[in-house]
Amino acid sequence: MLVAKEFSDLLNELQRKSGAFGVLVITRDGKLVDLVGSLHNVNTIALAALVAGMFAATKEVARLVGEEHFSILLQQGEKRHIHISLIQREVMLVVLFENYQRIGLIRNYAKEYTPKIAQTLHLIAKSEQKVEQEKFQEYALSLIDQIFSEG
Amino acid sequence: MSFVNFAKKEVILKVVYYGPAECGKTTNLLFLHKTISEKYHGEILLLDTHNERTIFFDFFPIYLGEVEGFKVKFQLYTVPGQSYYYASRKLVLDGADGIVFVIDSEKQRLDENFESWRDMMNNLKFYKISPKEIPIVLQYNKRDLPEIIDIGTVEKYLVLNGIPVFEACAIKGEGVFPTIKEVCKRVIERFKFGG
Repeated sequence: MLVAKEFSDLLNELQRKSGAFGVLVITRDGKLVDLVGSLHNVNTIALAALVAGMFAATKEVARLVGEEHFSILLQQGEKRHIHISLIQREVMLVVLFENYQRIGLIRNYAKEYTPKIAQTLHLIAKSEQKVEQEKFQEYALSLIDQIFSEG
Repeated sequence: MSFVNFAKKEVILKVVYYGPAECGKTTNLLFLHKTISEKYHGEILLLDTHNERTIFFDFFPIYLGEVEGFKVKFQLYTVPGQSYYYASRKLVLDGADGIVFVIDSEKQRLDENFESWRDMMNNLKFYKISPKEIPIVLQYNKRDLPEIIDIGTVEKYLVLNGIPVFEACAIKGEGVFPTIKEVCKRVIERFKFGG
């Protein structure tokens, strides 16, 4: 699928230019949309859930101090850091980078790529494929029976 | 809110275990984690305090497999039950496709179940989700205790007609599978591509 490749290419470009070791796009409720980078040793499914939770909690904090939301969240470690920014209301860009990368650079690239990512996400959403709903449900239900009958 | 990733060909669905403090939400997840074949699940994530009370949420991903070219995944969450974690509960409920409401069957904790249900209804309202639009399954947990409420008590008081009900003793694994099976099936039955 062309648009899917375009999306990965865009994230790869952002990763390469910024020098980050990983880039993820996640939904507001913690679902992973796509990822690129050296993330073999990172539990990205859990990371997506936690980052979304963290961002949501920050939104509540923002509300308490009279802001609608904080659009950027930065988690600084000793060697590794995470830069989280909103792409759209429902989607977030997560950039993981090492200590030797400058935060300002990461921030600039995240900002530069945000509209491009948003546009590609919009194209992906528009490119919905036809799926046979009934067949999908029937097979999914039989898998549920299978998995939850084991044990 | 189901999520279809047409680029990666994935369908991700979220099920939340809700209920009062110490009713057995995490115990349900732990049993599933222990029992389901490893090929069907990822790592369990427990965010708890020093005395093992959930502080933010627990998280457990289940991989159903490939259906009509799409990888189907369920992501199971629990909410923290303690009343002062109300903000966390609200956040975790965001985007839920199905709910297991775990009832503490112990007689003296009946009111806490009602309070938790009302809290859940308020949070659903916040996300503009009608309780009629989202599959909810009731699980009466801790059926092995001596002083327990009768099945039907909660439904009668809260006027929940036709809601699926399961008896469980999650610590022994009893009733855990029928509950998750029912909620997942209902979520799939409601799920539609493109909305």
